[in-house]
Amino acid sequence: MSIQVKNVSKNFGSFAALTDVNLEVPTGSLLALLGPSGSGKTTLLRIIAGLEIADQGTIHHDQEDISQFTARDRKVGFVFQHYALFRHMTIADNIGYGLRVRGVKKPERELRVNELLTLIRLDGLGGRYPGQLSGGQRQRVALARALAARPSVLLLDEPFGALDAKVRTELRQWLRKLHEEIQVTSVFVTHDQEEAFEVADRVVVMNNGKIEQVGTPGEVFEHPANRFVMDFLGNVNVFHGRVQRGLASVAPGLDLAYPDYQHVEARNADVYVRPHELVIESDQSDTASLRAKVVHVNPAGSRTKVELQLLDSGLLVNAEITGERFAELDLKSGDTVHVSPRRVRVFIPEQSQQAH
Amino acid sequence: MHVETLGGVAVPPPVAPVAVRRPQEDPAWVRVSLITIALASIAVLVVIPIVNVFVEALAAGPGVYLQSLFGDPDTRQSILLTLTVVPIALCANLLFGVTAAWSISRFQFPGRTLLVALIDLPFSVSPVVAGLMFVLIFGLQGYFGAFLRRDGYAVLPYLFAFWGAALLVIGFALFRPTNPRARRGPWRATWLAVLSASAVLFGLLLFAQQALQVWPDHKSLKIIFATPGLVLATSFVTFPFVARELIPVMDAVGPDEELAAISLGASGWQMFWHVTVPNVKWGLVYGIILCNARAMGEFGAVYVVSGHIAGQTDTMPLRIEKLFQEYNLPGSFAVASVLTLVAIFTLVVKATLEHKVPRVTARIGESTASKGKP
Repeated sequence: MSIQVKNVSKNFGSFAALTDVNLEVPTGSLLALLGPSGSGKTTLLRIIAGLEIADQGTIHHDQEDISQFTARDRKVGFVFQHYALFRHMTIADNIGYGLRVRGVKKPERELRVNELLTLIRLDGLGGRYPGQLSGGQRQRVALARALAARPSVLLLDEPFGALDAKVRTELRQWLRKLHEEIQVTSVFVTHDQEEAFEVADRVVVMNNGKIEQVGTPGEVFEHPANRFVMDFLGNVNVFHGRVQRGLASVAPGLDLAYPDYQHVEARNADVYVRPHELVIESDQSDTASLRAKVVHVNPAGSRTKVELQLLDSGLLVNAEITGERFAELDLKSGDTVHVSPRRVRVFIPEQSQQAH
Repeated sequence: MHVETLGGVAVPPPVAPVAVRRPQEDPAWVRVSLITIALASIAVLVVIPIVNVFVEALAAGPGVYLQSLFGDPDTRQSILLTLTVVPIALCANLLFGVTAAWSISRFQFPGRTLLVALIDLPFSVSPVVAGLMFVLIFGLQGYFGAFLRRDGYAVLPYLFAFWGAALLVIGFALFRPTNPRARRGPWRATWLAVLSASAVLFGLLLFAQQALQVWPDHKSLKIIFATPGLVLATSFVTFPFVARELIPVMDAVGPDEELAAISLGASGWQMFWHVTVPNVKWGLVYGIILCNARAMGEFGAVYVVSGHIAGQTDTMPLRIEKLFQEYNLPGSFAVASVLTLVAIFTLVVKATLEHKVPRVTARIGESTASKGKP
């Protein structure tokens, strides 16, 4: 079932949690709402679920306006951040609760519960209580409980937020696989971009109660719509340069072609470069480059992180290179190297437009 | 120091346990005297008087004890009256306490802080003043007294019929599925049909009450110096107990499980009985126990509204006082011993439950510990 969010606004007192949000979730997709805390992503999820009421705007399921329906009439499965399992009920009773309140008879209920226990790989643990399970197990029970009554939409609020790193990675892959199996329209909230990119097939980046960008993980990461999205998705180096006549001067001695701005008038611009898009050479090559001193090298992890200080401006930049490249260059703190960006993104601040 | 050698392995000699005075420990004479003072004051202030109640009550033998409890018709009546008033007050407070705790811990609304403060009011007002308030409202000289005397019973059938009809409409509004496709059977009725049904219900209830003569015809409705007044005064004084016990428990449990139940398709009623009540049940039982103890022993407010009519409006505490004033010490102590037994029973239940209530919070603590952001 597809979900349409139309012109939804929500205020908590004087705080605007959501401002005129429009969103379409296609049938069968797995969509991530990504944003920093306070960006309104959980509020949006709860409004879709019917646990919160929007001040303005409507929610539609397959073109049908369901804004006036209570949560119980929306056929939505909701997984809470802290699981919210019924602590006085066994795991089997927890999972079967949605069926119980809908009047499904006991034998049929037990069948479905066992089916779900197998799905979440907790066979034989149906008689335990939530307090006796680990965090990852509880999370899977919460998911099974939400799925038991075959909801048309599955909503997950920070589903892996309270788990440790290893369990989280496992569960992510499991959720991805589960979604491929059951194909239920799903929306999940996260503040972790890695999680959003790994699990979702569409990512919605939110900030300050507004949607900044919607797209596939690749689109959002490679073509960020604005400075916020660029900044939020991974580390960036920011150079304060100028643009003029199709050229962007990133730093003294480094001019790059920027055909989008052909105006004669010079303008301040922020140039964003991701650490892995910086090329480090020991000798000056043909391309324009900047001289920099190696401040610190951190070879831990799959990629080596190098902290550099530009000799001309004293600016600190972060670069990431592969292990092989690092071995080739044989970098040490204090070495002088040449740095050039492989790819840049230029954002011209709004303010300077008004200033001119 | 000598070292035993076993196959080349050095075994350290066993260390003799030496009584070491830890630095934070006070000298023995301080500890002993403090404990003695505490025990002595509890003995003098609590244990001896309580034991004395039973000693005095049973001084003339168990025969006289039972005779003074059950032989005296006025005493018997007072026990019966207490057993009538307390359960009614308890039910009223249970209803109010759950409603108040629910609204305070689950909703944000203007006047919420005021409500929290008002719940405690009966604790801070002197019971005598509380009794006096009811006399001023319902007494013959009060605002409603004269009206109720004259027309009280004539109004009641309408009141009850109205409540029945109103409940029907409220229930329909609350429990009707919001999704038109989810409505089955009677839920498909239109508002017009529901309103006319409630009008019919009103008529039926009114007619039934008059036909069955539920209310006496040519009698005046007395609140003050009668059982309703006693119920009112007792409820007022014990108002805060249930709510006070429930609010912290409901705050600690949080609304998530209730919302989960709703999102799984439970109605508000199902959510309440399946999720809320099991989660707060020990807090609820605890509140009821405390409320019951206080209601049984209430004296001040009840004294003012009862009018002290022997055999009619004397509750057990009032009876004790009256017997005492009449120099009937065995009788007075006999009734007192019953109240004391109730108090001891309450203490025992309370102590048992105190192990249960923290267990709920301990489990919450455990789950919040695992909630920590990575």
